[in-house]
Amino acid sequence: MTNRYVYGIMADEPVEFETDAVAGADHVYTVSHRRLSAVVSNIDTTEPEETDEDATRHDEVLREVMDRDGGRTVVPMQFGMAFESDRELKNVLRGARPAFRRALNDIEGRIELGLKLVREEDTDIDDDALEDAVADELEPIAAQSVPNDLFSDRLVLNRSYLVERDDRERFDEAVARLEDAHDDLIVRYTGPFAPYSFVDVTIGAQR
Amino acid sequence: MFILDDLLFRPFVGIVDTLHTMALSELYDVDALEDELKENQLLYELGERPETVYQERKAELEAELEIARDVHERLTSGRVEVKS
Repeated sequence: MTNRYVYGIMADEPVEFETDAVAGADHVYTVSHRRLSAVVSNIDTTEPEETDEDATRHDEVLREVMDRDGGRTVVPMQFGMAFESDRELKNVLRGARPAFRRALNDIEGRIELGLKLVREEDTDIDDDALEDAVADELEPIAAQSVPNDLFSDRLVLNRSYLVERDDRERFDEAVARLEDAHDDLIVRYTGPFAPYSFVDVTIGAQR
Repeated sequence: MFILDDLLFRPFVGIVDTLHTMALSELYDVDALEDELKENQLLYELGERPETVYQERKAELEAELEIARDVHERLTSGRVEVKS
């Protein structure tokens, strides 16, 4: 397994730990170029198949990195980024350095939280009023938010929020207030995730 | 309007071919299948869909999605043969 599978990019001290990683790997470590480090594990292909299990492992490795040493900042990569050698990976770190730096600045000390509001079956909801109520509660706390697809008729709201780690508790309480105020809604509150929805770094031709 | 646009830009393509291509696009609607996959997951996570039903539907949708993506790739590369 000589290729490197990349989970994300960070600027902090290197990490190294054992865990269940993508494609059966169990050792996660960093490949560094100057002050940027790619969080990687070894893999025997450069085109990994995206199974549910490996997608979950990708996300869990990122969460583990984020939780280390009181909270690290990592620019998450989408599933499937693998490179043939350290040299190739370091070339990418060098070439995309300004973009990674910008992304790291944007998400420094912040986490992503997801909120889906699902209406109970056979109920009517005033979508606009609900959107306003949610915005009033959550937008003042969040640093940023983005809408996601409403992929089901039952889904009334689907948003991702970028929140300062220090504001996490305040955000949790605001979501709880929304839940209490809307008996006719099912609240699906998820995270924290690495801030996938708030970084936009494209590496070459996706390898 | 889109049919007209297509015919204006590709005058040698017959209307039957264009309609057939549009029908294929609609039949193999990748976005709709992706949405249904996500909805299936959501309903499972909310406890409204039992695991067996969820897994069965997921497998069906993934198979349909693979075919739909293949058809779309062929449509965009012009490799689908349309016979009238």
